[in-house]
Amino acid sequence: MKSLIALIFATIALDACHDSRKLAPNPETIFDDHGLHVITSFHNDRTRTIAVLYGNDDALANAGKERDAHTPRVGTPGEVFKLVTWDLKQNPLWFGSNINGNVQSVETVTVSAGESGPAIDYAKDDSSQKKDENAVLSNAERISFIFAQRASVFP
Amino acid sequence: MNALKRHRYRNAVAILAGILFTSFVVLQVNSPKIENPPVTSEFHGPEEVTRILKRSCYDCHSNETNLRWYDKVAPFSYKVAADVEEARKRFNFSEWDSIPKADQEGKLWYIVNMIDAGRMPLPEYAATHPNAKVTPAELTILKNYVTSISQKHYELGDTARIVEQKQVAQVPTSINGIQYFDDYKNWKVISSTGRPDNGTSRIIYGNDIAVKALEENKILPWPDGAVIVKVVWTSQAPDADGNVKPGNFNNIQIMVRDAKKFASTEGWGFARFSGLDLKPYGKTVSFATSCINCHQLAKGTGFVFDIPTKPAR
Ligand code: HEC
Ligand code: HEC
Repeated sequence: MKSLIALIFATIALDACHDSRKLAPNPETIFDDHGLHVITSFHNDRTRTIAVLYGNDDALANAGKERDAHTPRVGTPGEVFKLVTWDLKQNPLWFGSNINGNVQSVETVTVSAGESGPAIDYAKDDSSQKKDENAVLSNAERISFIFAQRASVFP
Repeated sequence: MNALKRHRYRNAVAILAGILFTSFVVLQVNSPKIENPPVTSEFHGPEEVTRILKRSCYDCHSNETNLRWYDKVAPFSYKVAADVEEARKRFNFSEWDSIPKADQEGKLWYIVNMIDAGRMPLPEYAATHPNAKVTPAELTILKNYVTSISQKHYELGDTARIVEQKQVAQVPTSINGIQYFDDYKNWKVISSTGRPDNGTSRIIYGNDIAVKALEENKILPWPDGAVIVKVVWTSQAPDADGNVKPGNFNNIQIMVRDAKKFASTEGWGFARFSGLDLKPYGKTVSFATSCINCHQLAKGTGFVFDIPTKPAR
């Protein structure tokens, strides 16, 4: 009898389906790291962005070291960093969680051995196509920002 | 001849009506009675918040169930009683402190999201009790409320010195057999999230099978062998530029796809390891029921919340 009643109600029950929850995967936003490691991640509610910093073995090892917060780090030859920045959007499936949307930019910092100390190359692949007036100055800022990131603690 | 037919027909109707009536009486007399046990620790919130919850949820999720006459008529009475029993078991606004303090806030976010998804109050109940429906304006009140209590708790963030890794001697294993492993560090990141709701930052990794399933849009259901790993850090307070960076490692959560083995939880095996010592979560295998219950909200994406998505056409 119980199962009969359950059946009656199962057929009556309305299907609570919100159209905003009908979603398809958007794999284009997945970054192909080509074997780089995750160093750390951060998000920013003001700029509505979320970012993951990747690096090669050298970059990861150096970002994980204890360091004095007051001496800015300069690159070590051999390091490669990639900072991927996405739009930040509200997760359509959970109010309270923000998730990455589309990729905004990929910044690459490569450190090689120069004649007088490390040579640093900076490149930005910007899908938002915003042209920066003070490109040179802001590049230097971006490089030191990337160098300053400490590796997240993983188990 | 004709008269005889009519007579037979009338008899049949009378017998059928008799059977129906008798079953109704039997059902009605045996209808489950819903008791209202004492209120031991009532949920306290701002008046505008409790007013909404009382009207929309208390019939089932409290000891102040106040049913209408038509809720007591068989066969509906059976369904209503079963719902009230199950709802009180899940959580009870009249016994709010039976939820560990640390979990109460998470439960409130769960509550808001169940309403947001149109799952609560139960649709079949809302259809017969239109007054119980939560209006969009009321939902906004509830959303603002949970956001404000979380901000209060997390605005200081975790700026304490970050504790570094220590080696775990044995491979931690969840009670359902899922073992911790390190290999996800070589997998692709499928998404990253920041949660103002509980002050954490996350990175979500997928193995090759999971990434391929996303690329081919074959996630209903996800293929066997897909594994998704979520690493959770407690967030630091925002820096001068507003960047919220991960602080201490908090926990790691794993979902393993095996439709047969984990049939009772929609084909997903769940595991969670907390703290740098990776303490397995869950005392009995049934812990995963609470995982999948909430992940039902992501049914449309194969019970996975954190995948990159676009609106489906
Ligand atoms: C008619 C009874 C009924 C009403 C009214 C009702 N619920 Fe429920 N609720 C249930 C039942 C039954 C379940 C368990 C089954 C399910 O999830 O569908 C449940 C489950 C839940 C859960 C999941 C809890 C857990 O730990 O698994 C949440 C959250 C919830 N309800 C919130 C609400 C809120 C908020 C309201 C009011 C807006 C509400 N419910 C009104 C019957 C009810
Ligand atoms: C109250 C709701 C709730 C419960 C209970 C819950 N989860 Fe989740 N889970 C979420 C939400 C929301 C997300 C996505 C947002 C986030 O945390 O980044 C998520 C994300 C995840 C992910 C990443 C993949 C995905 O679905 O997005 C894993 C893995 C996971 N949860 C495992 C678990 C395990 C294991 C348990 C049980 C021990 C559990 N969850 C219980 C709500 C829940």
